[in-house]
Amino acid sequence: MSRQQPIELFMPPNMLKAKVGGTHAGLDMAAINRAESAMEALKGEFATWAQDDVRRLVTARDAFAADPDKTTRAGLLRAAHDMKGQAATFNYPLIARVAGSLSHLIHDLPEDAPLALGLVDAHVNAIHVIYRDKVMDLSNRTALALAQELEARVAETLGA
Amino acid sequence: MSGYRFDRLKILVVDDNVHMRKLVVTILQAFGVIQIFEAESGERAWAILREFNPDVVVLDWEMEGLSGLDVVKMIRTDPQTPNPFVPVIMLTGHTHIDRVRQARDAGINEFIAKPVSVKTMMSRLMSVIENPRPFVRTKSYFGPCRRRRGNPEYRGPERRAEKAAQAAE
Repeated sequence: MSRQQPIELFMPPNMLKAKVGGTHAGLDMAAINRAESAMEALKGEFATWAQDDVRRLVTARDAFAADPDKTTRAGLLRAAHDMKGQAATFNYPLIARVAGSLSHLIHDLPEDAPLALGLVDAHVNAIHVIYRDKVMDLSNRTALALAQELEARVAETLGA
Repeated sequence: MSGYRFDRLKILVVDDNVHMRKLVVTILQAFGVIQIFEAESGERAWAILREFNPDVVVLDWEMEGLSGLDVVKMIRTDPQTPNPFVPVIMLTGHTHIDRVRQARDAGINEFIAKPVSVKTMMSRLMSVIENPRPFVRTKSYFGPCRRRRGNPEYRGPERRAEKAAQAAE
């Protein structure tokens, strides 16, 4: 038996197109080149972004260690998740990977299951080391092995 | 050269991370956008939305307090919304398909998974200008049509249009 649900489908007027005009002639390469240059300049300016984010992650970790409740756990997840997005954008792919592993762990672990501080710390320490050694490529074998090990531990925890 | 007058647009950028906000603003300025509003929280975004009624919203997902999903639901359905049709581009570190579906079901128009790239930002902006999605109102949803936008080469049945016609009868 099919579901019956009233559906109203309509196209609102395209006010955006009316406002910006122009023609759809592919990507505006001049604007793209300008933006890419501006973004490169910004990456240099943001040399300290990672330091701020590592500090934020450590603060979130400390809050969770002191009082491991729903709120501090959510704060830790937010810090790890933000770092995942930022690190990839600002050329720290391995930090992005480790932060991604940490956010995967916190997000996918059932809320009533305890979050092991040891595994959290292993991720936070790894991020510290990758940042301290300024590992910005994917060819550093030690850092890669560390990321893989952490991911395996997370998979093991979530699979258990 | 598209000849778009991006200088005529008002864009709201919402992210609780100052670095990410600055990056998005820098990209938009390089595209020629002049009127850019910044909000560091969902609450601030809602206040700016109501005061300045921007043309496009670039929205982070994970924020303390009102999340990006909360904000987009308010944009679409709150009685005090200044424009329920405003295009929303969600910028997020979430890449899992379930999360993409969740964002789509809240009423976003476009999705950008971090890392942010200039080309993706331009392509999503062009998409909301050139290929706006139709809107759908059902008992449980109001927002852009959640199906993939129309393919001119498609020759199959238009099931949703048929359902809409049946509902209208």
